[in-house]
Order: sequence, then C-alpha cells, then structure tokens
Amino acid sequence: MYELRQVDKHFPGVHALKSVDFTVKRGEIVGLVGENGAGKSTLMKLIYGAYQPDGGTISIDGRTVRIQNPRRAMERGIGMVFQEQSLITNLTVMENIFLGYESQFVTYGVIGWRAMADAARRQLAKVDLDIDPAVVTSRLSFAQRQLVELSKVLALEERVDGDLVILLDEPTSVLAREEVDLLFRIVRDLTERASFIFVSHRMEEVLELSDRIYVMKDGEVVDVVAHDDAEIDAIQHMMVGRDVDREYYREQKQKPYDGDRVLASFENVSLAGRYRDISFELHPGEVLCLVGTEGAGREAILRTLYGLDSPTSGSVTIRGERVNRFSARGGVRRGVGYVPRERKVEGIVNGMSVYENITLSQLRNYAYGGVLRIRGEKALARSWIERLGIKTPSENTDCGSLSGGNQQKVVLAKWRSGGSDIMLLDHPTRGLDIGAKEDVYDMIREMSDADVGILLVADTLEEAIGLSHTIIVLKDGQFQKRFDGAPGAKPSLYDLVHHMI
Amino acid sequence: MDIERLKPHFPWVTLLALGALVGTANPNFLDPAGLILLMADIVPLFIMALGMTFAIYIGGIDLSVQQLANMVTVIATVYLAHFGVGVALVALLAGGLTGMISGYVTSRLYVPSFVSTLAMGFVALSIAKWLSGQRALHMDATLRDINFAWMFGNTAGVPHELAIAVALLVLAWFLQTRTTFGRSLKAVGAGELAAVASGVNVDRIKIIAFGISGVFAAMAGLIFSVKLSGGDAHLANGFLLLAIVAVLVGGTPLTGGVGGVLNTAIGTLIVMVIRAAMVYLEIDATQQQMIFGLVLIVAIALTIDRSKLRGVVK
Repeated sequence: MYELRQVDKHFPGVHALKSVDFTVKRGEIVGLVGENGAGKSTLMKLIYGAYQPDGGTISIDGRTVRIQNPRRAMERGIGMVFQEQSLITNLTVMENIFLGYESQFVTYGVIGWRAMADAARRQLAKVDLDIDPAVVTSRLSFAQRQLVELSKVLALEERVDGDLVILLDEPTSVLAREEVDLLFRIVRDLTERASFIFVSHRMEEVLELSDRIYVMKDGEVVDVVAHDDAEIDAIQHMMVGRDVDREYYREQKQKPYDGDRVLASFENVSLAGRYRDISFELHPGEVLCLVGTEGAGREAILRTLYGLDSPTSGSVTIRGERVNRFSARGGVRRGVGYVPRERKVEGIVNGMSVYENITLSQLRNYAYGGVLRIRGEKALARSWIERLGIKTPSENTDCGSLSGGNQQKVVLAKWRSGGSDIMLLDHPTRGLDIGAKEDVYDMIREMSDADVGILLVADTLEEAIGLSHTIIVLKDGQFQKRFDGAPGAKPSLYDLVHHMI
Repeated sequence: MDIERLKPHFPWVTLLALGALVGTANPNFLDPAGLILLMADIVPLFIMALGMTFAIYIGGIDLSVQQLANMVTVIATVYLAHFGVGVALVALLAGGLTGMISGYVTSRLYVPSFVSTLAMGFVALSIAKWLSGQRALHMDATLRDINFAWMFGNTAGVPHELAIAVALLVLAWFLQTRTTFGRSLKAVGAGELAAVASGVNVDRIKIIAFGISGVFAAMAGLIFSVKLSGGDAHLANGFLLLAIVAVLVGGTPLTGGVGGVLNTAIGTLIVMVIRAAMVYLEIDATQQQMIFGLVLIVAIALTIDRSKLRGVVK
C-alpha cells in the first residue's frame, strides 16, 4: 500500500539515495538495516516528509502523492516514533499526545481537559499503558515515554482515512530486555491497525521482529530478505560489502610501532554514563583504533584523553605523568592534538584565516609579551600549506571557504606544527571525497613514521581495519576485545561486527 | 554580486551617503571646524562604544556601561578632593572590576551576559545613588582645572578629547589585531567551540573582554563628568542605546566574530550624523530615542548572522 519507486536524493557532493524501491504492505513490519551513512536516515526523513525526493515517486494505495512536510505526512497516516524522543517533558502526557491537534477538544477557545483525558486514555489503552494522562511526562520512565510516543502516533488512526505507516527509529536502544519484549508484543498486536518500519542497529532484534528486511549500503537497497531466509552473517556481509583494497589504506606503508615506549595510557578509566573500566596503552608510531557502534563510548574516550571530559575514576597517564586536572589547555600543553568529528564547528574557526587557525593552539609560541609576531605565523602557515599540499589561494584566506579535505589538513597542520605527538582523530575522513580521504591516510602513515601515537575513531570498519595496528572493540561503553592488525594479518569485518553488536 | 561580500562595506558607504545627504541639505554641516566640534562632543559615547565592542565581538553584550559611567561620574566628583588626579585610576579600577565580575558571572556561572551585565548595571546605579545621596553634585572648579584641564585643551586646532579618543582607538585596535588576547577574542567570537577544542582559555578571554568594556565605560564617565564638572546617578542616561547602535551600525553583529573597533569608529560617526540631521530637521529631543530605537532594530536585523542562531531566538 505504501510504495517508493526509483527514489533519488542528492545533497551537495553526496548521492544519498540511489534509485531506491521500497514497499510496505498492510499490516507488515519491515526492517531497515545498514551501516552509518548507508542512507537509512535519509530514507526515513523522506518517508515522513522532512525531505523531498529529487526523483522517483511516492504512492499510497496506488495513488502518487507529494508529502511536503511532516504534518502532511501525518495527514496521510505516516507517523514517526523518534529515537531522540520528541515528547516535551514539561507537558502532561495528554498534552503531548494531542500537541497541535487540540482543536477537537476546544469549545469557545477553552480546552475541555476531561474530554482530552478520556481521548488520551483511549490512546494509551492501545499500547497497554495504564497511567494517568494528566501526569507530567518527565515523571515517566524512558520505556513509558516510548509507549506514549507510540500512542501519540496511533492517535492518527482517528484522524486519517486509510492505513497507518509508523516508523520506529532505534526504539530499543535505551530499553531493557523485558521492555523490548513488551514493545515487540505491542507492535505485533498493533499490526492489525498499522504497518511498521523498524530501524535498528541491533541485528537480532530486526530479525526477530521484521517480516521483511531491507539492507542498505551506500545509498542503495542491496537486498530484501524475507524473515525466514534471514541470517545475521549474510546480512552483515551485504551491509559492509565491497572487498577492501589494501593499497587504498596505505597498508604497505604500515610499519611496526615501538612497543617499549608508552606515550599515553588509560588504567581502568570510567566516565559515568559513557564508558567503564577502559585500559589501553598508546605507543609511538601506533595507530590504535576504537571500534563500536554509535554511543559505544569511543568519542568520550578521545575527549577524556584530550582533557575535555574528566573521568569519574581510574588513572590517565600521559608521557609518564598522571593527569590530575583535565582541561583542553592541559591537553595541548601535554602535546595532545584533537581532530574533532565536527570539523566546521570544533575543528576550524570559520571566519578566521588559514594562518590564524594554524597558530590558534600555540599563540604563545608566536608572541612576545602578548604581542603577536604575525610575520612568523604566516611563514609557518606557508610552510605547512606547502608540506601538506593545502589547496588555498593564500594563508590569508578564510578557512571556512576551503573544501572539507583542505580544512582537515589545516586542522592537522595546527597540531603537527605545534609539535603534538599524540593525535586523537575522530572521524577524520567524514564527509571527504575519495581523493581527500587518501590524503588523510597518507598523512596518518607519515605521522606514524614520525613516531606520533594516533588514537583513531574511524568512519567505517574497513577504514579502521585498514589503518590500524591495534583495534579495541567497545560495546555500550565496555571493552569487548582487542585485535592486533599487522599488514596481512588483519582481523576481518565479521570478527569485529561479531563483538560490536 | 553576492550580498554577503558587500556586507563589510555597508557601514562606510552608509556613513558617506548620510554625510553627503545632510551636507547637501545643510552645507554648514560640512564645515571642518564645526565637524571637529561635533566629533569632540561625541567622544564619551565613542569611548563607551569602543569598550562595548569587545563584549559584542565575543557574541555577548554589556548593558551595564551606562550605569557604570553614572557611577564613575559620582565617584570622580566625590573623591576628586581626596585623590586628585588619582581619582581617574580609582574610576578605571571600579569600572574594570565591575566588568570582570560580569564576565565571571557570564563565563563561570553560565548567566547570559545580557542578564549579568544588566544586574551589575543596577548594582552600579545603586552605588551611584548611595554615594551621591541622590543629589546632583558639583566639582570644585579649581581642583578640576588643576587635575583635569589637560583633557579639554586645544592644540593646533585639535581638541584634546579628540586626541584621547584617537589614542584609545589605536590602543583598542592594537589589542584586537596584534595581541594573543585579540586573536583569542576573535576565535571565541567566530567559533567558540573550536576555540575551546584548540585549548584557548575561553573563560579568561570573556572575563577580560567584559573587564575592558568596564574600563572604557569608566573612562567615558570620567571624561563626561569632568566636562560637565559634576556627578549624578543619572548624568549618562541615554548613552546605552546610542553605544549599542554605534557598535551595530558599525558592522559588528550581535553574533560576534566580525567587525571590530574600527567599525565602531565608523558607527559612532554615523550616530553623530544622524543626530546632526535630527537637529537640522528640528526633531524634538524627546523623539530622538524613538528614531535610534528603530535604527537599532534595522541594524541588528541587517548584521546578525542567522547561521549561528540555529533557528532559535528567545
């Protein structure tokens, strides 16, 4: 009944959806899986009206429709249960359920609370939730809120003709096992009323719940698997796909690291709510990669080592000295460089020139008594522009106007010119095109040759495997397994995925 | 031509256009001697706006400057006999300290600057009222001339107050463009998160920025007080709106990061021309703030960087 045909979506520099066909039948539960960046969230946004397709058609019951925005999607019976819950926590449950649709209870401009409460109770009954609709949402548990959110979407039933399609975006990520079972039971019961699209990182749950599973990779649907034919391994193979080109990750340039010296170490370090009991050592010349799903604690570990987050317990040692006070300034002083994931927000200062960005972390080296030696700064910038091949009209150009790859080089130049020999790279190739990615890989190898220790959170698993000497797999903030990755003896994707999920 | 590329040129083009307009309507306006007098007249406002530029450049605002100046007029008048010329130092210290408290409250206690500076402004106002006993005080004319006559002399046709303004402008410009502090200031204004991630001590930069704003406001109050030979808790009223207008029409947006002290110099001249035009058009003094209120809204709407606001304005 709901169908996407040959749907395309482009963003500047990215072909996010490539001729995607997607159908949902009445009362069906459809699973949707893929790696980060495979196009799942773009597809979902398109379905509930936040994006418009560039090509292809959307049809409901055989009729082609245009869905301009989420409100129109709801009028067509398409609702979304958000991962980041969309309930407003200081409103009551019933106010949330009917947010934007209060007019049905209004007489002479006054809301009839009793009528709304009765209507809300009817909605809550659909999801077996027995709570007072006048209770303030913030007092509910997370699982209860998830169900309220679902009942909010189910309230569409009374407002639209035709069938409902409900998107569930990672609905189980914060639920306990019993709560997941409850949710699944409710979803199955509700298939009489609605069809579901279920998106999750947890493969076994997708397999358990879905009638059919769409597997996405690089903006394409690579396969559709029926419930009875689905196998985790086969699906994961399709998700990660293509064979890894060893040249691409400069594996021939990977040299053994110096295991005798330690640049930085974590000893049973924990940060409440992020990660627990993490220990590792980072050596000169080593590329140590942290692998895990979103929220596994990888970024938080990087930010702790840099000094942006203070751990709740355990000891962090940099160059033999235990770190007691955590601050980014301290990190810089200890020779730690941080290449953040949000390049345009945390990496470069948009609106400052290339040379101003390069010296920002080391102004003291280019000043006497607080007065800048701008000529020295510019000379430094010119030499690094040349050394890293940064494509910029001059060192005075606004860094924000450079391409993503060149901005990333500026960020690397900032740290390397300041002598940082512990580099924290958080998704250093995110959003870069292939050529720029290869430049970054080359630079990683050069840094290793110069005895820099690199802690990496890679953009993809292939990248993690291709680049690293050591891989640490994390899951829900906890250490799972450590892999050694000498060239030719690297762990396979399936080894890693097995421990991640 | 893309409007973003033209934006930096708006202020001086506006200044020239307005100047030409007023000059055509009233040729006397362009008389150099008259212009210099007009400029000398606006010096206290300019100095206040200069300090305010530092607060706005980091994306904040300083609403305490007017009350700070009020407080300083009272301090200067009350303590002139006691400290002599040293009263200037007392005034500047008081201003700097008040500003730094605002900066501390903003950066460490996470109180938005418009609230913290508004609150500190009331503290300053209250001190002014208390010290002055709510009366208009007068400076002893002899003491004033002994200690501060140098402020208002005239050398080779240039009023000394104008020279002071130029010297402060050069100082502020040097701070902004040639020091590690100025560079960090720009980073905080243009990309605070990136500045934090580069190890810049953002809290300290903010505290200093508000401190500078306070010192300049105190300087403005001191000159104003000496000029009018007295002090009163309401002497500098009306300055705040004009100072904000001067910074914003100069091209330093509320979102910070671009513009700077030279822009404020141009902005102050624009304010001066508008004021002169209103006098020429015989617009009643009571209506002038109405005009400047509207100018302020237009200036903010034109200069603000919407990409930094992330869709939410409260």
